[in-house]
Amino acid sequence: MTFLADRRRDAAERNATLGVPTISDEHWRYTNLRGIDFGAFAAAPSSVVLESGALPAGVLLMDLEQAAAEHPELVEPRLGAIVSTDEKFAAENAALWNDGVLVYVPRGVVVAEPLRARFTIADAGAAQQWRVLVVAEEGARLTFIEEHGEGQPGYANGVVELHVDAGARVEYVTFQNRHRETLHFATHRAHVARDAELDWVAVALGARTGKSRMESRLTGPGSSAKLTGAYVLDGTQHVDLDTTQEHDAPHATSDLFFKGVLNDRSRAVWRGVIRVAEGAQRTDAYQENRSLLLSPSAHADSIPGLEIKANDVRCTHAATIGRVDAEALYYLMSRGLDREAAEKLIVEGFFVDALERIGAEDLRETIRDALLAKLQ
Amino acid sequence: MADLVIRNLHAKIADSDKEILRGIDLTVSRGEIHAIMGPNGSGKSTLSHVLMGHPGYEVTSGEVTFDGTDVLELGPDERSKLGLFLCFQYPYAVPGVTVANFLRTAVNAHRDTPIRIPEFRKQMADAMDLLEVDRKMSSRYLNDGFSGGEKKRLEILQLAMLKPQLAILDETDSGLDIDALQIVARGVNHHVGADMGAIVITHYQRILDHIRPSHVHVLIDGRIVRSGGPELAHELDAAGYASHMAEV
Repeated sequence: MTFLADRRRDAAERNATLGVPTISDEHWRYTNLRGIDFGAFAAAPSSVVLESGALPAGVLLMDLEQAAAEHPELVEPRLGAIVSTDEKFAAENAALWNDGVLVYVPRGVVVAEPLRARFTIADAGAAQQWRVLVVAEEGARLTFIEEHGEGQPGYANGVVELHVDAGARVEYVTFQNRHRETLHFATHRAHVARDAELDWVAVALGARTGKSRMESRLTGPGSSAKLTGAYVLDGTQHVDLDTTQEHDAPHATSDLFFKGVLNDRSRAVWRGVIRVAEGAQRTDAYQENRSLLLSPSAHADSIPGLEIKANDVRCTHAATIGRVDAEALYYLMSRGLDREAAEKLIVEGFFVDALERIGAEDLRETIRDALLAKLQ
Repeated sequence: MADLVIRNLHAKIADSDKEILRGIDLTVSRGEIHAIMGPNGSGKSTLSHVLMGHPGYEVTSGEVTFDGTDVLELGPDERSKLGLFLCFQYPYAVPGVTVANFLRTAVNAHRDTPIRIPEFRKQMADAMDLLEVDRKMSSRYLNDGFSGGEKKRLEILQLAMLKPQLAILDETDSGLDIDALQIVARGVNHHVGADMGAIVITHYQRILDHIRPSHVHVLIDGRIVRSGGPELAHELDAAGYASHMAEV
């Protein structure tokens, strides 16, 4: 266990030198943390529930602390290899994580049934430092569904590292439905190696303030990342989704498609950067963000960005922020639908192209139902 | 039996001072087909949208009742439930919403208990067959990428499924070739009768060869300047609107 203790101590030292980010920090320009007393949240037992079908030999879905003790040869080289401690919340997490999960699928093994982890804050006012390490070795295939349930109000801060080794395929779903008074922070980062595929679905419904960094780094030629986001916010919710698609290798593909519906006085920020390294020729990268505002007081920011150092690439982006078309509403209402039903139908239609990107039908239905339920 | 009664109706575009309807009087009973003809800009489409409750128009005076109920107090959805139906000149596209899902939601909005799926499917299939609509249309997104003719057929398909008591056809003939026009007319004629009256708004006489009006009105500059029987449509077709415009 020495490696873990050493890591925690180093991270704690690092954390002590880092202040809470302010809006003058590039990644925090749209999310103001001033006035939040992070010290008020107590480290307390939280809840992680793991679920899976029968696991093929060698596959692990287990507590990360226990895995570090029992399988140090797996955990030591991979933990912290993707997400560093350079940033405040990641450093704090590296020092303090208490609810950790390891997903490990060995070389060439295919896990048909989804592997699931459900995180919830068990006690009001608690801090849940959650941590996920996913390792899909060469040619492995898996689906991992990470759910953040309502639970009690508190503070959640997580780090997710996804190792998608050569030729592997990972479907990763992160479904955030935290308590409406919870602060939810996350740094998710994936390394996608040669000819590997990452299919990432992010859903955000809960939390009072949420900030998720979702970063895919395409490290090997022929790799691909497909990123699908869907969110429905209302009340005074503030959710900040900060994505990067980093092309370090040639002939890789990334395709991001995020859609959000905002009601009441809620606010969503999507800031997305496509970064193409020198030498990452024949990159094909796409990002699209569409927001639909249901209330005049709702607000969306959509900030696409390209940083391209190679010269033979195709990078495109699109972003729109719109309102429900009054004419379309009138048309539907003229057929007898009341305003609420007409609006619901338009919103349901709005999410269809995002949902169509989700291959598994039961998952697609579950997510659609959750999005629509939030609109009631 | 006087079903729809319009008295001295004045209306304008909501955020402008320009009055478009300047005192319309019209009474339409079930079983009657009233053609309203007039040149572009005479207020024909405005009349149809004011009757259906478009939020972009404001009624400044006058009244509209249907079976004695004050229509102007109601939203478009309540007017629909009262039995009014507008066949749109330019139907809206709603991407992501299938025709079948939309139709079922609309049918259910008119019922106390949801229609059973097999019954709905049968009604939809029957209406599609009558209008010679490809049944695959049911899984396409509402008016999304539809041709002009497909949109008009879908409007009549909605009419067939919602069974209104008063149908307003706003330039339903525009953009239709003769075959499509005959099919659309067949759909309308199938439903006009003891239970349904119709207002057919058109620039041209052509549609009236297929949907035969009992009454014809000439609308010019926001007023009905002349009313008569079916023969008036032919007269207009031959002479145009110029002589009536001179009267204004």
